[in-house]
Amino acid sequence: MAFREINPKMVEATVMPGQKLFSQRGAMLAYKGEVSFTPNMAGGQGGLLSMIGRRVADEDTPLMTVEGSGTVLFGHGGHHVHVINLAGDTLCVEADRLLAFEGTLQQGTMFLGSQGGVMGMVRGQISGQGLFTTTLKGHGAVAVMAHGGVFEIPITPQRPVHVDPQAYVAHHGDVRNKLSTALGWRDMVGRGSGEAFQLELSGSGAVYVQASEEKL
Amino acid sequence: MGGRRPGGPERASKGAVRGDVHLWELLAAGACGYLRCVAMFRLQGSKVLAVDMTGDAVKAKNGSMVAYDGQMAFKKMSGGGEGLRGMVTRRLTGEQMTVMEVKGHGTCWFADRAAEINLVNLQGDKLYVESSNLLATDAGLRTGTSFTGLRGASQGNGLFTTTVEGHGQAAIVSDGPAVVLRVSPQYPLTVDPGAYVAHQGNLRQSFQSGVTFRTLMGEGGGEAFQIRFEGDGLVYVQPSERNTIAGEV
Amino acid sequence: MSTPYGTPGPGYGTPGGPAVFDPTTLPADDNVTPYTFCVELKGSQWFLQKGKMIAYYGSMEFNGIGHGRLDRLVRTSFHSPLHASDWVVAEGSGKMLLADRAFDVNSYDLEDGNLTIRSGNLLAFQPSLALKQSIVPGFLTLIGTGKFVAASNGPVVFMEPPIRVDPQALAGWADCPSPCHHYDHGYMTGVMGGLRALTGLGGASGEEHQFEFVGAGTVLLQSTETLMAEQATGAVPPDAGVPGSGAAHTGPSQVAGGQRLPGQLGDLQRRFGL
Repeated sequence: MAFREINPKMVEATVMPGQKLFSQRGAMLAYKGEVSFTPNMAGGQGGLLSMIGRRVADEDTPLMTVEGSGTVLFGHGGHHVHVINLAGDTLCVEADRLLAFEGTLQQGTMFLGSQGGVMGMVRGQISGQGLFTTTLKGHGAVAVMAHGGVFEIPITPQRPVHVDPQAYVAHHGDVRNKLSTALGWRDMVGRGSGEAFQLELSGSGAVYVQASEEKL
Repeated sequence: MGGRRPGGPERASKGAVRGDVHLWELLAAGACGYLRCVAMFRLQGSKVLAVDMTGDAVKAKNGSMVAYDGQMAFKKMSGGGEGLRGMVTRRLTGEQMTVMEVKGHGTCWFADRAAEINLVNLQGDKLYVESSNLLATDAGLRTGTSFTGLRGASQGNGLFTTTVEGHGQAAIVSDGPAVVLRVSPQYPLTVDPGAYVAHQGNLRQSFQSGVTFRTLMGEGGGEAFQIRFEGDGLVYVQPSERNTIAGEV
Repeated sequence: MSTPYGTPGPGYGTPGGPAVFDPTTLPADDNVTPYTFCVELKGSQWFLQKGKMIAYYGSMEFNGIGHGRLDRLVRTSFHSPLHASDWVVAEGSGKMLLADRAFDVNSYDLEDGNLTIRSGNLLAFQPSLALKQSIVPGFLTLIGTGKFVAASNGPVVFMEPPIRVDPQALAGWADCPSPCHHYDHGYMTGVMGGLRALTGLGGASGEEHQFEFVGAGTVLLQSTETLMAEQATGAVPPDAGVPGSGAAHTGPSQVAGGQRLPGQLGDLQRRFGL
């Protein structure tokens, strides 16, 4: 277990030689021991492609490689931190919600529009979160940030879940996403234009939702 | 940590058994599906309200739904329970809160900018709440508008407060968990207008322009006023000095 | 979810509902919830930052620091001229609740000790403590014996030196010798560091510059970037030979952005972390 939740807004990571971590720039609160933080221009293992993806998606969140031996405290902006453990499956998460993750996880970029078609494109524009989502795959732990904490809603084939795009944090499992409009939903004069759409997630897995419609 | 599964052991404790409770309410406490279905309000953590519905409806602050499963229909409230006049008054006073009605089968999750949620059980009494702090109510509860006078003026966010009346549950939001303070004849209470969230019971409120407070803190504006509650009832205050949750400063 | 604090009482409010408090059940000089602190006044006095009192029972008076009658008290306990207009003295008898933008609040007891705290975090203190400006800009030092109340973004985490801390996450420290700056050499000389030095783009984050603490003591950490209100402190009069004088706008306190009037929109943004 790489991350230990110290309180709802802070996690402690143990860094050992040969085991690196990636973290968002500015996420380090304090450290003990000999630990180095190196900016990662290529954005992890994703290489150039992932880099371009990030630029296009305006997800210009350079990652830091954390190496050495010691303990590091992570937290950011007073946001709530939630640790998700992956055991071989894939987690989809917006890049700017990533606080830190283990180096054992394989990092990639997914074009959300490929599933939702045109609507997927719209989704990116609505929530302003970009068309690209970071994917993390393999075995390891991920610390994500959310405004006001997150809760998990299981998705089963019989029970698709609809989520406000602004409140969506991440999802994992074999899940298809598409944008939908609910009956009468459009009539609502919401706070943001995003209210008119919902993200429909179907399949089997789980979606993480934050206790706020405010995007980070 | 870890998200809790809906329908888990954390079911709403509708243990509001007090004096004049009707039989059906007691039944509804255990499960749902007799004379009348009551939407089940339960807290998922402290910032998310989960409502389990079986064909019944809840009224909720517009835009506060973060997720749902099952089948839900959404309707913008116009004219409904509180009447057109209430809506018009709101418009006039600059209170922008609009209400939607959610009806269906399944679970609906509500949240409001990571604000803390407080459940209030009403048994025929009246709850006064800043309209921006009202997140959701049982569709069976009547909501209205009441004139609150100076407090609003000193705070600059409208002269009207929402009232909720009837039997059922309401969810109010606060910036940080609200502290519930009892007011009794021997213990009057003074509250900072910015920290006031709601009150219930038989209370008189008066507005103090705390003299010593004002002469030295005058430059701040609203700070000079304090609300004094006397009588018998409860006051909800939030651990934050400005009532800015979704409201105007 | 009911809080572990207090127990529900009779009357209004329902069993299983939230805890209901009155003057007899409110704690004395202790937390009501992690976000609300109750101070009991028995004819005693407390220094209080303006606007942090959310409610009170009893009869109390709040007087500005400039109030003539308080001169003696201020002379012995309050040594931060930059802050005089932000503070009042509460006196009387009763119980009052303190809170700050829904941040965590905690009280700290000092016994003939000293603790330095970020100026925006300090809510209230007993006059038996003396308040002074730290030589680290943006921090205040409390010296003596007594209790004070401070806010933090998330619970405060206590750490022991040696440790390096992102300046923005530093809530305060006790007994440590003053912190010094630590610059990550590898980072600064790297490609990004070079770019940043040339263009000034990207700013500085905790990864390239930290406060380093060594020696005996305790370091207080919170999870925050710029959420708490910053207040300019530690600025010194422009005297020759006083380090930092005439350069009041350097250091971490530069975000103070002039005067902060209560109710300004800036408060709102901070509160929501914008």
